[in-house]
Amino acid sequence: MEDEIKQRLQSYSRRLFLQRAGLLTGMVALGGGSYIYNPKGTWAADPIKVGIATDLTGPISWGGIPNSNVAKMVIDDINSKGGLLGRPLQMILEDTATNEQLAVTKVRKLVTQDKVDVVFGGITSSMRNAIKDTIVNRGKTLYIYPQLYEGKECTPFLYCTGPTPAQQCDTFIPWLIKNGGKKFYLPSADYVWPHVLNAYARTVIEKNGGEVVGEEYFPVDHNEYSATVNKIMSNKVNVVFNTTIPPGVAAFFKQLYEAGFSKNGGRLACVYYDENALNITPANEIEGLASCLDYFKAVNDPYGNKIQAEYTKLYGTKNPFTAGSAATGMYRGLRLWAVAVTAAKSLKREEVAAALDHAKIADGPGGPSEVVPGRHVKMNMYTAVAKSGKYEIVEKSKGQVMPGECV
Amino acid sequence: MNQPVASRTKRQIIPVIELTLLVIALILPLFLQDFWVLFTTRVFILGMLALSFDLVWGYAGMMSFGQALFFGMAGYSAALLATKWSITSVFVLLPVGGAVGLVVAFLIAGIIILGKRPPNLVFVALGTLTSSYVVERLARGWSYVGGQNGIPSLPRLTAGSFELTEGPLFYYLALVLLALVYLGLRILTRSQFGLVLAGIRQQENRMAFFGYKVQNYKGFVFCLAGLIAGISGGLYAFHEGYVGPGQLGPVLSTQVVLYALFGGAGTLIGPIVGTGLVDLFSFYLSQIWETGWPIVLGLLLLVIVVFRPTGLIGFLVSDRERVGSFGRPTKAAPPTPDARHEPA
Repeated sequence: MEDEIKQRLQSYSRRLFLQRAGLLTGMVALGGGSYIYNPKGTWAADPIKVGIATDLTGPISWGGIPNSNVAKMVIDDINSKGGLLGRPLQMILEDTATNEQLAVTKVRKLVTQDKVDVVFGGITSSMRNAIKDTIVNRGKTLYIYPQLYEGKECTPFLYCTGPTPAQQCDTFIPWLIKNGGKKFYLPSADYVWPHVLNAYARTVIEKNGGEVVGEEYFPVDHNEYSATVNKIMSNKVNVVFNTTIPPGVAAFFKQLYEAGFSKNGGRLACVYYDENALNITPANEIEGLASCLDYFKAVNDPYGNKIQAEYTKLYGTKNPFTAGSAATGMYRGLRLWAVAVTAAKSLKREEVAAALDHAKIADGPGGPSEVVPGRHVKMNMYTAVAKSGKYEIVEKSKGQVMPGECV
Repeated sequence: MNQPVASRTKRQIIPVIELTLLVIALILPLFLQDFWVLFTTRVFILGMLALSFDLVWGYAGMMSFGQALFFGMAGYSAALLATKWSITSVFVLLPVGGAVGLVVAFLIAGIIILGKRPPNLVFVALGTLTSSYVVERLARGWSYVGGQNGIPSLPRLTAGSFELTEGPLFYYLALVLLALVYLGLRILTRSQFGLVLAGIRQQENRMAFFGYKVQNYKGFVFCLAGLIAGISGGLYAFHEGYVGPGQLGPVLSTQVVLYALFGGAGTLIGPIVGTGLVDLFSFYLSQIWETGWPIVLGLLLLVIVVFRPTGLIGFLVSDRERVGSFGRPTKAAPPTPDARHEPA
């Protein structure tokens, strides 16, 4: 009996192995298949091809994985409601692997071989810069970039659906001055985003009667901040407006906490901190940290809760749906694009772009949003404060905030 | 004296591989879709970079982790000329790329190879690796060259009023350059000069005792490799339409080492085959297993490098052919195959 089972198991596994091997060779021969998510059911019309190029592997995969998850969720949802223009959406996913060199090839495949109708993706600015030309200029395809970033991206046919410096500073900094104080310190990682964001933040701080005591740049993996912490403490700084990033940020927050900055009434601010980032630092070290983003779980609006519940059901809580990982930007981007395609009744780039220039959606994570001239999106912004490992919303923008880019 | 016939045929495998690949490369664009033409063009350009590494490691025995430095510096220089001064002529930018690669290689060689004491393997490896790392860090922080974001949206290369678009045209440009570089290196490495290099690789001290200025040979080869990497870097920047700090750094440098080791270092053709196969594998693997493909690729490379130190080409080519013969055949040299089989 036992032998019989063993034998059957063996033969099964051999068969399974052969099947798998067959599948593998088939995939190799056909040029890949599992990355193509075909629409469920039978459709009379050819699918609309949606290219998703994001970092599923490498240091930025914490952002890329939720991005591809959200894309799949939204595309499935659109398909279950009849697709667009009577055609289903087919998602073609490419891993850009946090490697700009590789990404150009992957995106080229999307544009020249798969001939996708639109490309969504890129998390870092360096990734966007590497792939945008291949998509937009050489590839003559529409490109939608979902992440919060430093602004100044004004390439035609490239739409940015994440928050810009204006959106993250205009309501946030006055709040910080009111709820922290006038003396700011800007410790930063040394790359493009902090430099440009700080330049903008400085003008807003000064316009609101605040003053910048110091602005410093460190390598991203810097881990010795005692001199900076010392300066912050001895200058009696009220607000630390932080743009250092992982892995350096964990050490900085720890050293700042140990020096007693928050205990003495200082306010820590960091505009990319979302629910996901709370895992980087122990809750007690960032008690009172303020952030400003387009969505927090704590916004607790019915539509956002619905998305959140659906996402968690499909993908669990390991790679959560948050604003800082561009998942909200991806959601918004896909919905706005779908609206534009429906309005344009076409997939021609120029016609979709013309409709996308003023596309709006009534619902999304964090509320309604609308594309404004300059190919950026106006949206609600929320200021939240970390309290024992969770966020509490302390202020909501009065209506949608303008992105203030490319106008 | 008689050689078995099998080994005689074995000795002629490399030319067969070379010719086959050349013929395939020449007619390939007729059969390939657009994307694969671009893909293969990229393989040719990176293959040139892999050749430059093979020259320093496979022939002169210097482990250079700095090939990406020459490649990237050349790419950046050409990109700056194109964006800040609107120079797009291929006849200016490629020579500039090569020259930048050469000069940077010369400077590095001046520090780490041409010093008072002959450098050992680890010194060269770490010296080139750190140079590559330092320059990448600098490029990431320097806003004039775009910092972290690099220089996007490069214009296309031009020849007169003609624009070199990616596709078959660029493909043949890259192929011709690769073939020329390959031919040049093949002649060089099979010459008397190549014999000296092989000697240096195998037993450096003995070559020095013979009176060869070993360091000068090494320095020359290092600079030549810099020149080739530079040309390749200039070409790459304009084919991809983008340069970024990643093109300067240790990651690409290491990738090039893998290309060469995977295909088979010290054979010239091996690194080119390696470039093609590694890129093809990583492309397909990433289609099959979205989040685990780098691990599979890494294991595959590890297996080859551990169990086949001569690389994939080692499966086809005997050690004897890999090492090859040098210089012009003289009367005293081994007789031609026909003569060899004359009855004794």
